[in-house]
Amino acid sequence: MHGSELAPMEPSLRSWLRERVAHYARREPADIDPSVSLTNYGLDSVYALSLCGDLEDHLGVVLEPTVVWDHPTIEALIAHVEEMLGGSSRRMDAG
Amino acid sequence: MIATELERRFGDPWDSGNPTGHAAVLAADERGETFAAGEQVLDAVGLNAEFVPVDLGGRLARLDHLIQVMRPVFRRDPALGLGYGVSSLIAAVNVWAAGDASQRRRVADLLLAGGRVAAGYHELAHGNDFAGNDLSALPGPDGVLRLNGRKEVIANAGRAEAMVLFARTSSEPGSRSHSQLLAERADLPAGAFRDLPRFPTSGMRGVQLGGLEFRDCPVPADTVLGVPGHGVETALRSFQITRTVLPAMATGILEAGLDVTARFVDARMLYGRSLADMPHIRSILADAFVDLLICECLATVTARSVHLLPDETSLYASASKYFIATLLTDAVYELSRVLGAQFYLRDGEYGIFQKHLRDLPPASFGHSARATCLGTVLPQLPRLARKAWRGGDAPPSEVYRPGGPLPPLSFDRLTLSSGGRDSHSAALTAALDAPDVPADLRRHLLVAANELGTLGLECAALAPRDLTVDARPEVLELPARYAAVLAATACVNVWLHSRDRSEDFLADPQWVTAALRRIAGRLGRDPGPRPRHHDEALAADVLARHRRGGGFGLFGL
Repeated sequence: MHGSELAPMEPSLRSWLRERVAHYARREPADIDPSVSLTNYGLDSVYALSLCGDLEDHLGVVLEPTVVWDHPTIEALIAHVEEMLGGSSRRMDAG
Repeated sequence: MIATELERRFGDPWDSGNPTGHAAVLAADERGETFAAGEQVLDAVGLNAEFVPVDLGGRLARLDHLIQVMRPVFRRDPALGLGYGVSSLIAAVNVWAAGDASQRRRVADLLLAGGRVAAGYHELAHGNDFAGNDLSALPGPDGVLRLNGRKEVIANAGRAEAMVLFARTSSEPGSRSHSQLLAERADLPAGAFRDLPRFPTSGMRGVQLGGLEFRDCPVPADTVLGVPGHGVETALRSFQITRTVLPAMATGILEAGLDVTARFVDARMLYGRSLADMPHIRSILADAFVDLLICECLATVTARSVHLLPDETSLYASASKYFIATLLTDAVYELSRVLGAQFYLRDGEYGIFQKHLRDLPPASFGHSARATCLGTVLPQLPRLARKAWRGGDAPPSEVYRPGGPLPPLSFDRLTLSSGGRDSHSAALTAALDAPDVPADLRRHLLVAANELGTLGLECAALAPRDLTVDARPEVLELPARYAAVLAATACVNVWLHSRDRSEDFLADPQWVTAALRRIAGRLGRDPGPRPRHHDEALAADVLARHRRGGGFGLFGL
């Protein structure tokens, strides 16, 4: 994946994550604020692990299982994933 | 080897004059005392070294060897096994998993010198909900961490030189707000903590279960284990080791139960005939024996998986703990029916049976309740249904070869979720294609394979609410059924990988056919009529092993 492709991915990743969080929280996606900690929606450690698995399958990447614990809002998750993918593509370019 | 040496030093359990025989074990239990003569035997072999990794000067290299050493201890006295060693192990694995070099060195030195470490997780108000714990370690105005709160029903709380305490180190919500603290009793100021009175118990009465209460108790700066706030992760990784080895060690309790029951059956005459000749009695002996073999097979494969498939262990450790604890509890209860009134008499020749019966619950569902183990497996099932169970690669065959070589134990490679991987499920499918599988075994094998297919359909459709503690009770049946399938997979593959060794007990298809038959029954399937010759052969084996005075396990000792 190239860095230039990341920017368009971001809005769709945000809406996908809002949909998934809403699914686990049993709420409407519109009710999910991407800047609010997922624990506020009742997403405990178990849901955080499940969400990480969904995200891995959705993006086809391998993440730390604890990624949602360390980046507990949708915004933080997106930033982390972009940094990670950007970092790996830079490494690939360098190699 | 240490296990043989332990057996030799423990001596004949039935010799009433033996200071470490059944009579002495029972007398210590009646007094609610630590079994001092037993502890002396464990001191003499330097048992603590079994809990310390080789690179720190101990003997801990392989979990299957650790289990083998501890099984005779649990067979003799479960309270000795828990009270002497395993409680230190439960604490120490946190240090091996997360501690820095100096913390690891301190704990290794303490254990190798014969000391103890208490595992301070439990608070009565929170049970296994350890993330809900109240003990806090928050910085005071001077920046020094201060402990406030209680830990309760902690083995050796009063006599351990050090303790690993699970405490809240941040008031933020989420899973990065707890840490383990490694505290040494001598470093804590008197007056800032107190020992709680011992908790009287019905089982494990020889274990000194106490507690600690802290009030603004300052702890040294280097007390936190690993990255501050990573306590939940460290716990969930460490528990994979303890959930793997504890139930495996506790199979010694069923071995002891089989030995007592065989002795009773051998001696007893009813209605003018030996109890051993009654088909009903033989079927109970055979079933308990087969359950023991299933437990050992699953325990061994799980222990080998920790080495060979560490990133899938979160799944197997919890599924195994649930299944083994369930089988042990049920099997010992069934044996109690053979003993009649003797099963609850507290003295006399068979008095040891009721002690083991009382010790079994805390040994098998203490530390992590069975429901907690199912709760670890359950949220992983939907992804397994989407990925692993739709096809994948079988694991390396070494995982099914008891006693075979293993790569080193790697705490770093244990992860919190199997990530949709389940190599063992592919080995179940592969076993269906193995040549020369006897027809009755194959029929039971198909039950397990069909069960996995059904699980795949049901787990893929699970609603989010059903993945957590809000799950409907019937949903917890899913991880329980998965555990049964895993047990069948372990048994059939251990047999497939042993059958070329014709002189070996494991090579005979009889035990594995009986094992898969039992598992099919547990899955609620009708396994067909009991093959009577199996009952006779298996019960005869139990009686023969009793008369020889050896163990009842799959692997000799």
